[in-house]
Parts: sequence; structure tokens; C-alpha cells
Amino acid sequence: MNFTNFTRTPKTPTHGRSRSTARTPLSPSLAAGLNSLNISNSSPTLTRKGVPAGDITNPFIVNSSKSRSSSPVKRVTAGSGLQVNAQLKRQASSGVIRKGGPESRLDVITLDYHAPRPEAKRSKSQSSLKRDKAFPREPSVPPSGNADRFISSRGDIDVGTGYQPAPSSADSSPGHIMRLAEATGIPLNKRILGFHEAPPPPSSDQAMATQRSIIRPLYSRTGTAGSTGATTNKSRKIRTVAERILDAPGMMDDYYINLLDWSCNNVVGVALAESAYIWRGDVGQVSHVTEASDGHWVTSLKFSNDGAFLAVGFSSGSIELWDVEGNRKLRTMNGHQAQVPSLSWHEHILSSGCHDGSIWHHDVRIANHKVMELLGHHGEVCGLQWRDDGELLASGGNDNVVNIWDARYGDVTPDTRAAAKWTKRNHTAAVKALAWCPWQPTLLASGGGTGDATVHFWNSTTGARLHSLKTPGQVTSVKFSPHRKEFMSTHGLPTNGIMVHAYPSMERIAEIRDAHDARVLYSALAPGGEMVATAAADENLKFWRLWEAPPKKKVEKPKVPMEESILSLR
Amino acid sequence: MAQRQATRGNISLKGSTQLVTEFFKYAVNTILFQRGVYPSDDFHMVKKYGQTLLVTQDLALENYLDRILAQVNKWLLTGSVTQLVLAIIAKESRTTLERWVFDITLTEPPSDESAPTHSKPESEIQEEIRYILKQIVSTVTFLPIVDEPTVFNILAYTSESADVPADEWVDTDPLAIEASKSQQVKLRSFSTDVHRIEAMVAYRYDG
Repeated sequence: MNFTNFTRTPKTPTHGRSRSTARTPLSPSLAAGLNSLNISNSSPTLTRKGVPAGDITNPFIVNSSKSRSSSPVKRVTAGSGLQVNAQLKRQASSGVIRKGGPESRLDVITLDYHAPRPEAKRSKSQSSLKRDKAFPREPSVPPSGNADRFISSRGDIDVGTGYQPAPSSADSSPGHIMRLAEATGIPLNKRILGFHEAPPPPSSDQAMATQRSIIRPLYSRTGTAGSTGATTNKSRKIRTVAERILDAPGMMDDYYINLLDWSCNNVVGVALAESAYIWRGDVGQVSHVTEASDGHWVTSLKFSNDGAFLAVGFSSGSIELWDVEGNRKLRTMNGHQAQVPSLSWHEHILSSGCHDGSIWHHDVRIANHKVMELLGHHGEVCGLQWRDDGELLASGGNDNVVNIWDARYGDVTPDTRAAAKWTKRNHTAAVKALAWCPWQPTLLASGGGTGDATVHFWNSTTGARLHSLKTPGQVTSVKFSPHRKEFMSTHGLPTNGIMVHAYPSMERIAEIRDAHDARVLYSALAPGGEMVATAAADENLKFWRLWEAPPKKKVEKPKVPMEESILSLR
Repeated sequence: MAQRQATRGNISLKGSTQLVTEFFKYAVNTILFQRGVYPSDDFHMVKKYGQTLLVTQDLALENYLDRILAQVNKWLLTGSVTQLVLAIIAKESRTTLERWVFDITLTEPPSDESAPTHSKPESEIQEEIRYILKQIVSTVTFLPIVDEPTVFNILAYTSESADVPADEWVDTDPLAIEASKSQQVKLRSFSTDVHRIEAMVAYRYDG
């Protein structure tokens, strides 16, 4: 060190301090010399350098008087070799001081004066012991009750910087600390650490984002064009007005149920609140089929593949089977404990999805009708569709899951039957719309609800997702055209529309906006594959000619005569 | 034999640490998204644990979390972290609204003689993780609606002897919620061969 040659006084302030306290009282002459010193230097080292060589100033005195201008923390930590960074200083000034924290390791002040109390030594804690080690030559407690300079000067500085020393362990018993720790929830032998940086603020403006999220369902979804009512592809013209509109009073506005079906015998089945009706397309005649018991309503309705039978599911959980021709009830199948929102037929097997997430297979020919139960959903099963060949069953639920079941009934072990072949969790909302492609048997389309509004296409053999299509609003149904490589989908808010897209190019062929005044909830494909019936909560049943039959089959003509009906025609 | 067992233990600790760190990443992201700490525009969907999760794509936040998780990873390896807390704090009043607490306990290594240490299959762990994340999502049904801007803070409870990188981690306030105004809901837990994570959420409720 370069200033050893100045004086023979000890180098470390610690040592000097203790000695001066004990033996070197401040003499007036020295104080006068002190005052004459240049005190513009802030660091003790510099001050010592500024002292003339002949001056026999006690460096400690210089030190201590200078230190009044700087913080005690800084001075002492410089001596003990601990780096004081801006962080520590900020923390100290904010009054956050904790046992075990950096402050407690600063080896400062709190104990350089020992009060002559006998219990002071008894209740020394670990930290005070550590300090004793750091000051090995510290003299024992000065017996006199003289005012200690250091304490008084520190008091001044404390007021100035707002620094509050941690309660020294010397004046608090271990029991007190335990109680304190318990009351504040701060564990004694633990440290609570936080990252030094505050988390970054959101890069995008929160207020703007909120505003955007509020209007997003209306305007900023993908696939939403201008506000024109309908768009069709240049090369194809699709009639964007309904061919026929029927009144459907009491049509329920419920996304999760399925109230419309069109049989291969050209009979449209529709459920209006607690009643189910059929409308015979060829004669335009309506007949009432069944009615739900008190306090219940129809939640699903499905014709068998040959069109001879109609299955009706109720909110009570029961399912009725009706003979369409004879208009008589064949049987009632009970067992479900909650409403039956979806039904699908394969030959004599009727599958029903239940509100509780279970799917049951009913063999309608035998008395003990329940032949299998599939458990794979945690939410209401609102979409259910057999593949035409009956090898696979697709189900979609309110748990946002699409399941594909290898649900062949019969010669498979119970284990394989009970587990889904594929479980797809890509949707982020309930899955109601499901359709198997008629010209590519491995292709399944599934559409999600409001939060998702996406149609996914799956290969049921490999489980791969082949395509995805973002749509403007919740997908309530998807239907493939049997004749063209196209599919139609119906949507809820904001467009309330019908869209036709090409597959696999996803090119938009047509969009009919505001097809209904409320969200289009249900759709059914005509047996000829040209017409589509849609129903919505605006209590209308509309028929749309979306696809022309291929030219060679034009001889057959659609079997849907648009003659008079007894339902009011608009 | 002892040698081999030791190395195997070491490897499984590393693997388990990796799993736990990864879980924290997704849990923190899920909470930040679900509780609206960051605008939902900043999040994108990823497939993880057999479900879709939302993860931030805000670079600054991503880096911030990565730096925290890197340190947590180190602490997990030395076994010196006992609890991680994600506190959601009101921006204006600085009051803590929610504390998401993840207790980390090192499960005792089985004694040597009971050799058949059947290791837990990864799929089972993933399922447990999936359940926790689903529970976090479903907490929106009972947590009070947060309608003011919030910030978050991640606290680590470490042992006294933990290695703390200077300048990066500092002793801090526990950001506790007054006991009289706090409701606590225990969430599910998951465990690997080495770690056991128990999740809990405490929220301010002045009912």
C-alpha cells in the first residue's frame, strides 16, 4: 500500500476506530488542524493523500469526520470487500432488510457498540457471531457509558438516507424471532428471491388489444370479406337466395342439439320445441310425430339409413323409435340419465351421444337394447356420425375433442371397443359439425364452435390432420357434396351464413351471408345431393340449391317438388 | 453397483429437472394467458402434453422467462429451491391479487435394499401435468375477475445455502396476501421419480 510511509497508524479503519475510541480522545489542536484540511475529497484514501507528509494526523479521525458526508454502508462495505451496487443501495433505501439478505452480510455497525447489558451476549445469534469474527481485535465493551461518536454520527446519517438498520439480533430473543417469522410467514432458514428485473410490459398496447378482442368476433376474423351479402366464385354461379322457406315456429336456439334431418325417402324431420314433425317432400304434407313429456323437449332426431325409421332423442334421456310410413311408435329406449343431443344410425345399430359424455350403441332389434358404451368424452357429445360402411364412428364433444372409434360391433375385444382409435384435441371449442366424405372414405371433417371456428380435415387411417380452414364464425355443421369435390358449412355469428369451399384447395366457391336472421344451427343434405335444408333460431326452415347434379344424372331430376305445402309459404 | 446406481440417480435427476422446468414454463404461460396479464394476441397455440397450450410469442417476455427458468433449472439440480411463486399484482395499487404457489419437494430416494424402483412412465407424468394445466384453465370459473392492469412477479424460495447469482436474484418481499382476505384452493399435484410438485392458488377475496 502506498500510504504506509505517511504514518504508522493502522491501515484499516476498523482497527483505528476501536483504538481511537478507547485511547485517543480527540484533542482540540487536532480538531483545529482538521478544519484546515481540504475536505472536498470524498474518499478517505484521497483525503489521506491530501494530508501533508509532515502532518501527524490520526487518519482515523480524518476518516470518521469525512465519513459524515458519505453513507456508512458504503464506507464499511468498501472495507469488507463486498461490492455495493446500485441494486443494494436502492434496496437499502427502500427499507427492505431481511435476515440473511445482503444487508446482514455487510458486517456493519449494528454491533460495534455493546451495551453493558448482561443479556446481550446470551442472545447472540449467528449473525452477531459472524461479526465478532470479522472484528477479532475489537476491544471488549467500553465500560463507560460515554456517548459513542459512531453511534451519534450514524444516527445523523440514518435520518438523512432513510436507512433503517435491521433490528439487531442482540435485542430480540430467539423466541421473538420465531414468533415474528411465523407471523410474517417468512421462513427463517429460507430466502425469498425475486428476479432483479421487472417483467417486460406487454409489447402491444393492452387497451387496444382489449378493444380489438371485443370487436374481433364481428370483423377481424379471417375469411370475412366486405359486407356484401353473398359472394360466389367467378366460374360458378350458385343461387344465393333460398328456393323455399318454411315456417318453423319454436325452433330451439341451442348449439348442442341436432333438430333437422332429411331421409333418403325425401322426408324432412324437424323438431320444434317439444314436438317432432315430418314433412314429406314429395307431397308437401306435414305430420306430427311425437311429443316430449312435460318439461322436456326434443334434442335430436335422425332417420335410419333406409329412411323407414325415425329415432327421436329427448332431454329426459329417452329415445323413441317411430315408423315413418305408418306413423306409429315402435319402442322407447330408456337408460340415458341426461339429454340425448346426437344420434347416428348404422343399419340396426343406433348410436346415441349423451350429455354426460357417454356414447351408447343400441341394437334396436332386441329387448336389451344397450349393447355397448363408449367412454371418451368429458363433455356433452354433440356431434356423432357413422361412416357409411359402419367401420368407424366419429364423435365430437363439448370437451373440444374429436374421437374416432373403431366401433365395429361384435368380433372385437372389449378393450379395443372401449378406446377411441384417434383422439384429436386440436379444436379449442365444442365440436358439433362432423362429416365423413362420400368420395374419400378416410376423410373426416370436423368443425369447432365459437372460440375455434375452424374446420379440420383428418385422415382416419393415419390420424393425420390434412387441412385446416379458418372460418368467420362458429361452425354448426359441415356437409360434403356427393357429386363435387366440395363441402358446405353453416355458421353462427357474425355472418349467419352458408359457405361452400372446394376440397382440397380450400378455395371459396360461395358464401351466403345472413342466410338466416339468427345463427344457422342445423343443416341436412337432400337425398339427391343438390339441395341443403337449414334451420335457425329465426324459426325458418330454408332450402338452398347449392350443387347441381352432374349432367349425366340430370335425367333423375331432384325429387324435391317445390309445390304447395301446408306449412306457410313465403 | 453403487457407482451405477449413483449415475442413474444423477441422470434421472437431470431428466426430472428438465421435466419440471418445462412444466413451469407452460404453467406460467398458461396462467399469464388465462389471467390476462398479457394480451391474448401475444399468445400462440402449441401442442404439448397431448393438448393445445397457449405460449407467449412476445420476445421480451420469452427471454425474461427463459432467464428465470434457466436459474430455476440450476437450483432444481442442486435441490436448493423449495417453492416457486407466481404473484399477480395490481399495477396501480401494487397489491397482490393472486399467488400461484408450486411447492417442490425432493422425494426421498428409496433405500438400497428395496431395489425394484419402478420408474414412473412418462405418459403417466404427462397425464398428471395435463390435469394440472387443465385445472389452471378451469380456475377462471371461481377466481375473481381481474379488471385492472396487472403485472406478475416470480419468486423463488431457496435454502439459505443456495447459490445465488449476484445482480440477478435479490432477496425480496414474499408478496403475501393478508390471511384474512385470502382464499386458498389446492390444485392437483404431479410427481416424477425425483420431484413432487404441488400446486396451489391463493387469491384476494374481500367477500
